[in-house]
Amino acid sequence: MADSTSMFLSLAAVSAIVGFAWLALAMDVHWHQVLGSKAPLGVSRAVLRTLGVGGLTASALFCFLADRPSMAILVWLMLLAGGALLTALTLAWQPRLLRVLWPWGS
Amino acid sequence: MFSSFRLSMAWLHTWFGLVLGYVLMICFFFGALSVFDREIDRWAIPESRFEAQPMPSFDAVLKPVFDKLRAHPDEMKEMAGRVIGELPHPDKLPLEALYAFTTHRDPLLIIGGDFTIPNKPKDASEDHLHVHGWGTIDPRTGVFLPEDRLKVGSSFFYPMHYSLHLQWLNLGYWTVGLAALAMLAALVSGVVMHRKIFREFFTFRPKKHTQRSALDLHNLTGVVALPFHFFFAFTGLVIFAGIYLPLSETMLKPLAKQHEVLQAKRTGLPHEPAGIAAPMASVDAMVVEAKRRWAARDMAGEVGLLTITHLGDKHGYVSLFRAGSDQVALVGQGVHFKASTGEVIREDPVPNAVSGVNEFLTGLHLQHFRHWLLRWLYVLGGLAGCVCIATGFIFFVEKRKKRHAKSGSQAIRVVDALAVTAVTGMVISTVVILVANRWLPADLADKGGWERNAFWGAWLLSMAHAFWRSAPVAHARVNPAWREQCMALTGLALAAVVANWATTGDHLVKTVFTVTYWPVAGVDLSLLVTAALSWMAGRRLARREQVIARERSPIAELHGRTKQVRTVGAKVSNG
Repeated sequence: MADSTSMFLSLAAVSAIVGFAWLALAMDVHWHQVLGSKAPLGVSRAVLRTLGVGGLTASALFCFLADRPSMAILVWLMLLAGGALLTALTLAWQPRLLRVLWPWGS
Repeated sequence: MFSSFRLSMAWLHTWFGLVLGYVLMICFFFGALSVFDREIDRWAIPESRFEAQPMPSFDAVLKPVFDKLRAHPDEMKEMAGRVIGELPHPDKLPLEALYAFTTHRDPLLIIGGDFTIPNKPKDASEDHLHVHGWGTIDPRTGVFLPEDRLKVGSSFFYPMHYSLHLQWLNLGYWTVGLAALAMLAALVSGVVMHRKIFREFFTFRPKKHTQRSALDLHNLTGVVALPFHFFFAFTGLVIFAGIYLPLSETMLKPLAKQHEVLQAKRTGLPHEPAGIAAPMASVDAMVVEAKRRWAARDMAGEVGLLTITHLGDKHGYVSLFRAGSDQVALVGQGVHFKASTGEVIREDPVPNAVSGVNEFLTGLHLQHFRHWLLRWLYVLGGLAGCVCIATGFIFFVEKRKKRHAKSGSQAIRVVDALAVTAVTGMVISTVVILVANRWLPADLADKGGWERNAFWGAWLLSMAHAFWRSAPVAHARVNPAWREQCMALTGLALAAVVANWATTGDHLVKTVFTVTYWPVAGVDLSLLVTAALSWMAGRRLARREQVIARERSPIAELHGRTKQVRTVGAKVSNG
């Protein structure tokens, strides 16, 4: 039981982080920071946004699988804060790391 | 007054943020530390470094402990001024009600009780006069912890978070409440002011000039943790609503009294003692019954709070509340027993919507739950709040210091020096109390008092230092106190870790690997991270000072002047 809880929480954390990273990549400035070219193509942008929203939704889902709802909502909101912060700091100092999330290049 | 709504919001955000920001910095930082208050206690009180304990047996352990409990001397002194005649000796005062409280993180048990006093009050409108007694015991043996041991986490950092240790006229509570209200206003006005809240959601440009990167970080930490900031400021106000709006004690006193009586009638829990002595049935048997009832509701759990009301009286009753380790609400599912017979009087029903929401809001702030990830995320939220406030100060200073330098104003020096005091100074004094805790001899009389003095002394010193070194700010340069205090913090944080090792033998290899004990290891590791971060910040500040110094050195100036002469010369020759 404890193991499945920590597995769900880890998945929730990872989904929140990559979800935000994808959402950031869908923005011209950050796409440029990470991949070098000016802006993502329209299709790429749509895919990135969908992936991003999907990541954040998945994160919520894993939170609700791990804990009772009243607790899960708190964990999810705080994971969102942590995920966004980590994404922003990665973009500031090591933007190239985020290339793994879009291996197809620009 | 202002030409646009945005400008009026900017004014509000700037000035309320600045004035109450100093208070908010304390609330956020010590709030973040309070998430791990019990763990800090264990670090500071080596004899409490054992596993968390469940509520001990009342009949075998707690009963003899409560027999030894006496009214606190401070309470006796205070009460002596409020009653007619002389108070009896504390040994003669009967215990009327008691409590014992624990959570899943407590090795030690917190107990206390109310003692009846026979004297009449001087002010006739006062009724139910009691004196209180309290203590902390080792639940395995029933031995009291000496009173001069300061629980640095739960008795110093935690009260700092909500009362600033300003007891006079409850000034601390009111200041913190005002700051929380200002925080809510700052959040709303901040969102209104922010022109590109989504476009710059992930934006942090550390390589840009200080004013820009400080604003980036201010926006980032404010926006991403917005739900946290909002909910904690709001629920903080909800928790203390009774202090801020003491309706039941002032305006509606007769109504509140009547409510108490009616509630007692409804619940069957006697409001007044019968005045007839009665023996006490086994409380341990009641605990077994309460646990059975919780398990039957599919909520098996431990006792978090035990209270006995009208002790030794025929109307006496025992209330057992379940520890909220697995829920957001603090404690709940109370089961109440007749003290003399052990029969169940009442089992609390499922809370209604309003009290359910209240329990959720207070519970999410006070966090008695067992959820280590959420605990750390709360620390992250609190520290994000600190970064947000600190960068707000820096932005305020950066934006104005060039203008002030030109006009020769000194005001910005004060703001900057107070910012140094509120940021690095506060962290320094926090680490100083830990160092003092480990280095002061254990048998020193009033050791806790000395630790407190070390904390306040260090803070005052850091403030004096910040003001003393603030002259460069008036010339649009950086106060070297930032760098110097960062370096001092590095040294102190390392000293705290070494002191813990030297005085207890609990070094990190032991607490992490060989005899794993996370509460102490966590504090040590956090101190090491503090040391590393403050060292990096100090070095970066030093490098920047060198660059500026080089630009402003006589040689550079000469270089600049010759360049100027050459350009002028070229212009002349060209013209």
